[in-house]
Amino acid sequence: MISISPKILTPGSDIAIEKKLDLTNLTPEQVALDINKLNLFYGKKQALNNITMSIPKGQVTAFIGPSGCGKSTLLRSINRMNDLVDDCHISGEINLHGNNIYDKHVNVAELRRKVGMVFQRPNPFPKTIYENVVYGLRIMGENNRRKLDEAAEKSLRSAALWNEVKDRLHESALGLSGGQQQRLVIARAIAIQPEVLLLDEPTSALDPISTLTIEELINDLKKQFTVVIVTHNMQQAARVSDQTAFMYMGDLIEYSDTNTLFTTPQKKKTEDYITGRYG
Amino acid sequence: MDNLQIGRHISGQFNEDLERVINNVMHMGGLVEKQLTDALVAVGQSDVDLAKQVLSNDYQINAYEVSIDDECTRIIAKRQPAAGDLRLIMAVVKTIADLERIGDEAEKIAKVALESFSSSQQDLLINLDNLGRGVLEFLQASLDAFTRMDYETAIKIHQMDDKINREYEALMRQLMTYMMEDPRSIPQVMTVIWSARALERIGDRCQNICEYIIYFVKGKVVRHTTAEDMKNL
Repeated sequence: MISISPKILTPGSDIAIEKKLDLTNLTPEQVALDINKLNLFYGKKQALNNITMSIPKGQVTAFIGPSGCGKSTLLRSINRMNDLVDDCHISGEINLHGNNIYDKHVNVAELRRKVGMVFQRPNPFPKTIYENVVYGLRIMGENNRRKLDEAAEKSLRSAALWNEVKDRLHESALGLSGGQQQRLVIARAIAIQPEVLLLDEPTSALDPISTLTIEELINDLKKQFTVVIVTHNMQQAARVSDQTAFMYMGDLIEYSDTNTLFTTPQKKKTEDYITGRYG
Repeated sequence: MDNLQIGRHISGQFNEDLERVINNVMHMGGLVEKQLTDALVAVGQSDVDLAKQVLSNDYQINAYEVSIDDECTRIIAKRQPAAGDLRLIMAVVKTIADLERIGDEAEKIAKVALESFSSSQQDLLINLDNLGRGVLEFLQASLDAFTRMDYETAIKIHQMDDKINREYEALMRQLMTYMMEDPRSIPQVMTVIWSARALERIGDRCQNICEYIIYFVKGKVVRHTTAEDMKNL
């Protein structure tokens, strides 16, 4: 006999298909990245205000918000891409495995091996498809042909590209379509087995079908990697992510599981943004 | 309509779409209310013409349901509403389904007026009238709360259904006694029972509408909860 206690049902919680995480109270094993009081300035202009959030492991976390809200800046902070910007300074911490990536002794190249990134426009190297995928491994000193072949096949399969390119691995990557190039770049990023994959508007230059292919891929990738994605397309965030963070003018306004954020957001600013209202 | 904050979308077209849907729901609600009122008057005054009018007007309610449903589907396809907009559309889709069923129940009630009752059976109908008045009041209050998306009123009037259920049970007992005392009256009493049942169901459907209002405003699902839980919202 099943006993059901009468109580107020909250969508997505009581009989949820997937149990949602309590984002404010994750155990250390559940956390991939722990961002703590992060402030970022471009010159005198503050672009991120005291951001504190935990990004869970093995899940997809999306950053959404209007242009200039700091979502890309936050994403780029995670593998220290902002180091390349003059006049940019940062306070606070981003912890990967409990180690602050902004510590002085951190090897940035090593960090970027663990935290891979894919950009808005596909940027394959002017080399063959095969050489693109194994590029990272070669740089790391791997020259064993068999190992490289294996890694190339595995990465291309993971990026859902293998069947389309297996007969033309040694042709130029620039001959691929935009959607294929983007998947190639993802294959290149995952070939070196990163822990975290950062995607900066990965589908904004792609057609709807390629976009769906990439979204499907993102869903597969989270089994192996922690994925953080910035997107202008709110429906995309709703479709692919487990957690969504809404940012506005450098502040983290609301961060919760995606189902809640898109059906019952708690903050008015979030509601206004996702329903397309004047702020 | 201010509670709905429909007018603040950047897309004026979206504002218009939502406003049109809400206005249509209000028209439909008004029509349902009129159908129930007419059905009750027809029964109370044995007005056969009015009863026939109720029967012939039901198609309008059905037409409203189909067209609002269609409009909501189009909005979902074209706008992918989220958060409050999504909850509004969901609340509307469910509300119009309940309104359509209330229309059907009004039709059933009107049919009672087509039966002939002897003068000694007239007091059966008076009891029905009492129950009917309570239900009509509940329907009006629910539609009013829906128009303003007034969640506090929705919580308050949600309990009106309990009173209706009690009256319905009392009426049932009375009708049962009636049948036992005079088996020849069974066909007429059964007619009254069916329409009492219809009224009781309308009460349930008004309660549903209150729940959709609470869902829209608060994002909380209060179906299948106790009165105690409702207070702790």
